[in-house]
Amino acid sequence: MVNEYVGIAVSVALAGAIAGTMVLLGSTLGKKNPTSVKLAPFECGQDPLSLPMGRLAIKFYLTAILFILFDVELVFLYPWAVVYRTLGPLGLAQMGVFLGVLMAGFVYAWDNGALDWK
Amino acid sequence: MSDLALLVPELILVGMALVLILVARRIRTARVAVVGTVLAALAAAVASGWLLSRGTETGFGGMITLDGYSQFFKILIASSLALVALVSVRSIDREQIPRAEYHVLLLLASTGMMLSVSALDLLTLYLGLELMTLCSYILVGITVQRPTSNEAAIKYFLIASFASALLLYGISLTYGTTGGTAFVDIASALSEHGLGSNPLLVVAMGLMVAGLAFKIAAVPFHSWAPDAYQGAISPVAAFLATGSKAAGLAVLGRVSLVAFGSEAQVLSVLLAGLAALSIIVGSILALAQTDMKRLLAYSSIAHVGYALLGLIAGTPEGASTTMIYAFFYVFMTLGAFCVVIALGERGENLDGYRGLAAQRPLIGALMLLFLLSLTGIPPTAGFVAKFGVILSAMRAGHIALAVLAVAFSVVSAFIYMRVAVFMYMEEPREAAPSHLPLAVSAALAVAALVTLIGGILPGSLVGWAVSP
Repeated sequence: MVNEYVGIAVSVALAGAIAGTMVLLGSTLGKKNPTSVKLAPFECGQDPLSLPMGRLAIKFYLTAILFILFDVELVFLYPWAVVYRTLGPLGLAQMGVFLGVLMAGFVYAWDNGALDWK
Repeated sequence: MSDLALLVPELILVGMALVLILVARRIRTARVAVVGTVLAALAAAVASGWLLSRGTETGFGGMITLDGYSQFFKILIASSLALVALVSVRSIDREQIPRAEYHVLLLLASTGMMLSVSALDLLTLYLGLELMTLCSYILVGITVQRPTSNEAAIKYFLIASFASALLLYGISLTYGTTGGTAFVDIASALSEHGLGSNPLLVVAMGLMVAGLAFKIAAVPFHSWAPDAYQGAISPVAAFLATGSKAAGLAVLGRVSLVAFGSEAQVLSVLLAGLAALSIIVGSILALAQTDMKRLLAYSSIAHVGYALLGLIAGTPEGASTTMIYAFFYVFMTLGAFCVVIALGERGENLDGYRGLAAQRPLIGALMLLFLLSLTGIPPTAGFVAKFGVILSAMRAGHIALAVLAVAFSVVSAFIYMRVAVFMYMEEPREAAPSHLPLAVSAALAVAALVTLIGGILPGSLVGWAVSP
């Protein structure tokens, strides 16, 4: 029972050690040349400190939603691929229906210009 | 594969929704989407009726059932979907609502309702209700250009997602204490140990009833309804007031009868409280309204109180009176909303009804019929419905509650008759409304027919109402 967790403990310790060493090496050996941009907290494409009334391009949300579409698809495709042989043709048909429904949403987004990045 | 046969009505609606999504940008007039939605709703109703002849069945590992109860509500939901789609024609063109998307959301919300009424498992039930509410949020806010609509959608979203959390918390506590989410498992665990074994079960039951009470807008969980109805376009308000309430009542009925059937004592206290508060608060606040949609919202709150009277007894006979109430309530409320929609801008305000009977005698007469039915005066369907639930409460020994219900029927008469007085005894102040589109007339005719026939020969329409 306990032995099963030894592997996890080892990998946690290894991951911590590697990450810690990287941070330590970077902070001791690396060159320090701070500018105001470099010191700002990092956030993708967005000013991290702004009033919530500001505007944000809706394209980010569209991209995120499309990403979720394919993410969900992938989550179901992997386990299906693993047991594909035992499921047989019925499983293939069911997966086809699932992908069809999912793709209908994608086609709708495409149709409405979600992929035109202007 | 035979499992899928149980879901044929839902599959028809989803299929039509997918088709509409794919051709969304190629639909030029609202008529195409309306025809598609109405056809799908009719096909779903026919399929539900046809499945009924196969008898009671369960499928998907005991998660979905096919019985008289689920098919009754599926047909009711399909008819409310068809009527709402019919009356949407004019609003969609006037408000420039995306045509296909609007109907897709209606179809998917109805699918959620149908799934939840046939659920035999708390998780399927929750998924169905969530599908319904998710679509409803967007439907309420679908007129993005109108600030009131946005405000209503945000209020509705915040309160309803809180309610969903309560429901989910109740489900998780039920699972934690009984070890199952299927109604059968819960019922068997309860009959072995009972509520006394674990006080958490009372909390779980209370949370679930509260979460479902939000969905049907029973007092004190009603605050979202008037704002949401007022902000949404009238057809969406009609849809929320009829389809989603019918589904919520159906779910509450099945949960309280099948899953918590052995704890009818505790449940009847909770439900009696909800019913009494809804009748009192709904009727009194409706008195003060001048906006027609708010008035109908408070009226629908009061009606939910009456409908709950049937569930208090905790017997199959009581539940069937609630089913009959839900059935007639859907048609008479849809009828009243049809008139509101038919009058356009004028119909939204109480003052708009002044002198209507002189200008348009037929619309006036139909509105009077729906108002009489909402009050519960024979020979309309509203009387039959109200009589059934009050009788059921009396038989269960809740004499005080029955007296209260009758007393507040008198109060509600004042609410509805005020509109009738405006229509028949005042001079018109506004120009006569334009002629109705054919679709709206058709919906009005169906609602009026059901309200009349239901009052004269109730057995012919609801004789097949069998409780779970």
